[in-house]
Amino acid sequence: MAISPEANATSPGSKPALPGGPRSSRMWLWNTIIGLILLAIISIIPLFNDPAMLHTWTLIVMFCVLAQGWNFIGGFVGYAAFGNVVFFGLGSYAVGIMLNSGKPFWLGLLVALVVAVVFAFLVGLPILRLRGHYFAIATLGVAEAVGELIAARDIGGSGGLLSVHPPTLAELPLFFYGFVGLSAITLVGTAVLSRSKFGYALVAIRENEQAAEAMGIASYWYKVAAFMLSAAPTAIAGGLYAYWATGFDPSTVFDVSYSVEMVLLAFLGGAGTILGPLLGGIAFEYMSYQFSVSGFTLHNSLLGLSIIIVTIFLPQGFIRLVQEVMRPTSLAGANDSYLLRIREGLRRVQRFIASNGV
Amino acid sequence: MSSDSSRPMASDASPAASGAGSALLEIIGVTKRFGGLPAVDNLTCTVRQGETLGIIGPNGAGKSTLIGLIGGSLAPTSGSITFDGQDISRLAPHNRARIGIARTFQVAQPFAGLNVRENVIIGALFGRRNLSRAEAASVADEVLARVGMENKAYLIGGQLTVADRKRLEVARALATSPRLLLLDEVMSGLNASEVMQAVELIRRINNSGVTVLVVEHILRAIKGVSDRVLVIHHGAKIAEDLPDNVLSDPHVIEAYLGQRYAQQQKQAGANPTPAEDWKGGLA
Repeated sequence: MAISPEANATSPGSKPALPGGPRSSRMWLWNTIIGLILLAIISIIPLFNDPAMLHTWTLIVMFCVLAQGWNFIGGFVGYAAFGNVVFFGLGSYAVGIMLNSGKPFWLGLLVALVVAVVFAFLVGLPILRLRGHYFAIATLGVAEAVGELIAARDIGGSGGLLSVHPPTLAELPLFFYGFVGLSAITLVGTAVLSRSKFGYALVAIRENEQAAEAMGIASYWYKVAAFMLSAAPTAIAGGLYAYWATGFDPSTVFDVSYSVEMVLLAFLGGAGTILGPLLGGIAFEYMSYQFSVSGFTLHNSLLGLSIIIVTIFLPQGFIRLVQEVMRPTSLAGANDSYLLRIREGLRRVQRFIASNGV
Repeated sequence: MSSDSSRPMASDASPAASGAGSALLEIIGVTKRFGGLPAVDNLTCTVRQGETLGIIGPNGAGKSTLIGLIGGSLAPTSGSITFDGQDISRLAPHNRARIGIARTFQVAQPFAGLNVRENVIIGALFGRRNLSRAEAASVADEVLARVGMENKAYLIGGQLTVADRKRLEVARALATSPRLLLLDEVMSGLNASEVMQAVELIRRINNSGVTVLVVEHILRAIKGVSDRVLVIHHGAKIAEDLPDNVLSDPHVIEAYLGQRYAQQQKQAGANPTPAEDWKGGLA
């Protein structure tokens, strides 16, 4: 296809600004870099030599990974998967069983990855024919069923209770680094996805599945692929957790509250964005931890209240707030000082919040 | 009213003589039932390469069902549909888009959270040609210029006016590089000048070599763009002819305006332009 002269002439700056304005083409890069810097800052935590702090932050980063994994199916495709914990649980059991049969840990993680992705494919085939609430209920059911099955079959131990030989104290930071590394890989993976044709297809399905199909997108297979993609980091996180926690049963690693948390963190941060689930995970898991250690009896209510406020006024998550502030105005142009830009941005945010509010 | 005049080429020559080619789309005895009710009833019709075929009919006649059957969102209960010799009756919608059937929706279905340009890029990325991102972006800019939306490229799809949404539908469909374009009531809800622009756009698209199928109930508009017109009523074909002939067909008048009006017209007999009269009234 020949490139028309008009197409070349529409480079930014050569024409008066159009209403709306193009999205910054470098946004994805900035998001990725900010995410990586955040993770780099977090990764100094083991240097404090505080076991309790390390424990907390290991869990926080783990939840970030879970939210990032959920983001592929829930954020990009917009399918409310409420059973992603099943991949976490499968990963845990795969690693636990491998460790107990004397296989190396890394092999266990590999098996966890393969088992969860294959499972996502096989389960995705039927349940991704469903839409909306029906899909959400089906995923919930699958996760519960797999947990029950493991308990009933005494897989790993009586009632599914599985314990592994604990890692040494010196190894504990390695799990933390494992989660941080996994989070970084998922972050970069998300950034690559958001720039790829595959990512465009997923977003098109989210925005309008019927129209996406009319454009020639085989939505069903893209959804299955996204489901498999979201299983991968979740399963490895489960595998890391299994060795780290040393003992677990189906009621902990197939806990439906994990599924809920993934959805919550991704939404609070900004579902379908590169940085959102990571930001949401860090901010809200940390907040939740602080509320609970403060011993304040209302900590759950306070957390709930903050969630309600965010979902009402910022349905697209925190990241949207940041984007609105930083977006160059079409009138002001790109040459303006940052101060002016931010002042304009804040004004926009006020309007934005007002328009979403009740 | 210059926009009322039908296409000069079509009014004095049959489509075959005006250069329209062989059959591109063949609908053979197609029936679609919802429950027991036939929405499309044993319909047979041919769309020729390069022509613009208008489809009209009263509300509930089965026009949109027919578009759904061709576009692939519905499967026929019986009968078959062939496109360029290939039976597509059971082909999934995305595969139909890939072989060159693009459609718009009666109620516009933009990718609501994406801007106009991104909407069109997705059409070009997938569609018939399956382009790379850079190629798709340049095709999108080209298509936006073609439909006159280049200065709305960065508006969000969900925030457009009805007229712009419809135009976006057309742009997105065009970006898939179709051989057959199905337009489902792209002119309803538009004001008179917007209709004129839409008519002009459809003519330009057709002149660029795309076969067009226009479903509409604005008669004035359909007359302005169609080489031939197919009239359906209760899912069945009641007329298929040149626009002028169709619009003065008593069966068509009856279907649209009822039996009594048709009889009155018949009794009036010598009334020089009965068709013009009701066409003007409805348009």
